[in-house]
Amino acid sequence: MVASSDDIIIKTIARILVPFIQIYALYVIMHGHYSPGGGFQGGVILGASLALLLITHGYAEVRKRVPEGVVILLGSLGVLIYAGIGLICLLLGGNYLDYSQLSVILNVDPAHARSLGILGVELGVGFTVMAIMYSIFFDISTGGVLSEDQKHEEKLEGKK
Amino acid sequence: MEVTLFIHAADDAFRILENAKAQAVGLLDTATRLTSDTRWMEEKKVKSILKGAEETRSGFQNFVATFVMLMGFWALLSGKFDAFHITLGVICSLIVAYLGHDLLFANVRVGDGRVIAQRFLYYIPWLLREIVTANFHVAYLALSPEMPIDPQIITFRTKLESDISWVTLANSITLTPGTITMDIEDREFMVHALDRKVADDLDTGEMEDRVAHIFMEADHIYIQDVLDVSRIFTELKRGM
Repeated sequence: MVASSDDIIIKTIARILVPFIQIYALYVIMHGHYSPGGGFQGGVILGASLALLLITHGYAEVRKRVPEGVVILLGSLGVLIYAGIGLICLLLGGNYLDYSQLSVILNVDPAHARSLGILGVELGVGFTVMAIMYSIFFDISTGGVLSEDQKHEEKLEGKK
Repeated sequence: MEVTLFIHAADDAFRILENAKAQAVGLLDTATRLTSDTRWMEEKKVKSILKGAEETRSGFQNFVATFVMLMGFWALLSGKFDAFHITLGVICSLIVAYLGHDLLFANVRVGDGRVIAQRFLYYIPWLLREIVTANFHVAYLALSPEMPIDPQIITFRTKLESDISWVTLANSITLTPGTITMDIEDREFMVHALDRKVADDLDTGEMEDRVAHIFMEADHIYIQDVLDVSRIFTELKRGM
């Protein structure tokens, strides 16, 4: 279990930096089809910002902001977005992840549809990578004990 | 003869006294007029300050401030100003601001934000000057053959009140060559200093005073701004 840090300097600087790290991560994800970066890199940065918050502000504070259930949901949602876009392309008569087929749905020319399709896939990758990076760090730092497990065990012990 | 002289002298003395009294009354009048002129302004200021000292900013105000800052940062990074990218930026900033509205501006009092930013900007040149002068001193210590260093650890209790001001002071001390903040524990600063002179410079407390002035803490709670006595003094001098 990670407790809150004692060092005021580290805590305060982390508190101020975290929003900027997060917006930078989202910038990397959203501009992945124009400039270096993309879903994976942005997702890692986003996960790192949460890890920083976990190290400095402790487990309880982070769990209040980002509950475990939401993290798992986001991870699955990312995979769903990725696979869903691929499958839609397949259903529209193209290959898997053949974004130009999306132009029928989005009502734009194929080149633009490719760009938007890539953005959607990047978003999915970003969500999943963020959630998995964070949950790996989370599991290591808590020793794999989720708070729901603890509550459940406490309830069982109470019954005994 | 003596009597008339005496009467004349008494007359003169009386006239001088009268003049002095008239002058004093005039001065007092000016002072009163000035005070009543500026009173409503000062009262308004005092009221808003007292209110500000009482309540910290609400969550929504922090949310808006965070959103504006993040949107500015996004525009700086992105450099694309078409509708699509601006919309993406707004959505991303909204999400991050919603999740972290209490991170960026914790414990900011109402109405303080702009003053703090302005004073912080004025603090930077002073800090740069301190850094340059301390640089020369440390270079002298390092280059002189006998190397007259006298390393020591000094501790002092700070009068600052919030975490952000502690961090500003600690980082200012660390940025200045020759001194390093080792730890802050319970308002107790532990600082490593390279020799007697830099330790003494720190002990004067000027840096601490300036940081307190930025964040309006300790005895710097607006006193200079509320009672802007300098204006009244110049007016009084002109009256004399």
